Order: sequence, then structure tokens, then C-alpha cells
Amino acid sequence: MVEFRKLTYEALQVGEEFVSDEHLVTPEDVETYAYAVDDHHPWFSEASPFGGPIAHPTLLGNQALRLRHGRYIVHAGLHAKMEFEFLEPIRPGVRVRSRGRVIDKYERRGKPYMVTEFSTADEQGTVLVRGRFTQMLFRD
Amino acid sequence: MATIGEKLPSLDKEISQRQIDAYSGVRPLSIHTDEAWARAKGFRTCLAQGMMSTAYVSEMMTRLLGAGFVKGGTMSMAFVQPVFAGDRLSVHGVVKERRPERGRTRVVVEVWCENQHGQKTAVGEASGLIA
Repeated sequence: MVEFRKLTYEALQVGEEFVSDEHLVTPEDVETYAYAVDDHHPWFSEASPFGGPIAHPTLLGNQALRLRHGRYIVHAGLHAKMEFEFLEPIRPGVRVRSRGRVIDKYERRGKPYMVTEFSTADEQGTVLVRGRFTQMLFRD
Repeated sequence: MATIGEKLPSLDKEISQRQIDAYSGVRPLSIHTDEAWARAKGFRTCLAQGMMSTAYVSEMMTRLLGAGFVKGGTMSMAFVQPVFAGDRLSVHGVVKERRPERGRTRVVVEVWCENQHGQKTAVGEASGLIA
């Protein structure tokens, strides 16, 4: 049972770790993403150099970005920076889970920021994508 | 292919609220999908997720480098201006470096997105591998 708290700069601790639920990547996920970003590359629905269809390399970014939502009530924030390393293609049918850790928080010009490192792996533990992101939190 | 100074073919993206909804998932109290909430937070309308711009850069890099971006690619972006529903972005890249990496060549591209007013909304670099 998760007890959700409102996300605030003060509540969030450097070193805090997050784990997402497992997610099955479906062809529908890939199609929806293709529509959302208007990118219909044939590799997303047909054969690719990796042996079958693959997903957009950035498809799993939102799973990482939403890690905090598994513990906090997150009403608003602005994404300031994003870094990716694309290590392996993402294939429909794979089950993925993201893990993250808050590595820094700081205030700049009166605005609070948090920095999170993440990696997203398949059920065998193979890391598909990793990176870090910086988000600004809104104060009430 | 991918010589230093080469300008990549730009991409144009007109971003609808429906696409933002599909990307972010519709929920209340979200600056992406709840217009009243976005206004309450000081914005004129809903914002596209910054992550959508990383997808546009990913598309441009995959067109340039193919499998060498999908496996072995990197990206580092800063989101410097908000992107709103209804905005038209153009996505740009210029090859700035080539360097050897484990028997292959890493191609580094300066990338950015601009809105219809000519303002840069996201800046950074992306890279991938070629034989």
C-alpha cells in the first residue's frame, strides 16, 4: 500500500530511489507514440535492422519521468533538461521497468530543481535506455 | 555522409492538443492537458511536453544514422522556452564533430528546435555511430 504525499522540494531527498511498475510495450504503445510525435518510420511497424519492429528510441522516457508519481502527488513541474543513452532497441512485447535516483536538488533564481538519474531495463535486466533529467517544481 | 558542417534536412512539426493528449495522457491538474490548470500556472494554454522535442530530434537522428542512433545514440537537450498547443516547430541539426570510437565513428550533431516566431525552444546535441 502506497501512501501518497504531495511532491515538494522540501519533501524530496537527494539519494531517494524510485522503481516503476513493470510495463508491457505493446504495438499500440508504438502506434500511439507515432501519432503523438508524427513519426511513422517503417521500422516501427515493419522489419528493422534489429530483426523485427522496434519502438521509437524515446518511447520509454515518460516511464522514467513519471517515477515520482509512484510515491508522490505531482501536479506540475517544468522539464528543464533531458539526457539519453540509447543502448538497445526497444521491441514491442518486451516488459520494461525503470529505476531512478535523485542525485541533486538545488534552487536557482528562486526556483527549485531536482535531478534524477534513471535506467530502463527489460525482464532479463538488460538496460535499454539510461540517462538523467532535471525538473523544475512549481511552488504553490 | 555526415561531414562536419553539414546541415541536416529540417523537420517541421505542428503540435495539436490531441497529440499532446496522446503523448502525455489526459488528466486533470496537468499543464499539458488541463487548460484551466495551465492558465492557473501562468501559461496562455496547454504546453507540449519537453520530451516531445526529444522525439523530434530522435527522428532526425534516425534518418541520418539509422541503426547507429537506435543502438549507441545519445542526446542531451535543454528546454529553454515553452512549446504550446498549436505551435509549429522546426527541428534543425548541424554536424559538429566526428570522432573514432571502438572501431566506428561517432557523429555529433548540434540540434535545436525553433517555434514559429523564430525562438529556440530546445537546444543541445545528439550523437550516434556509423561504420
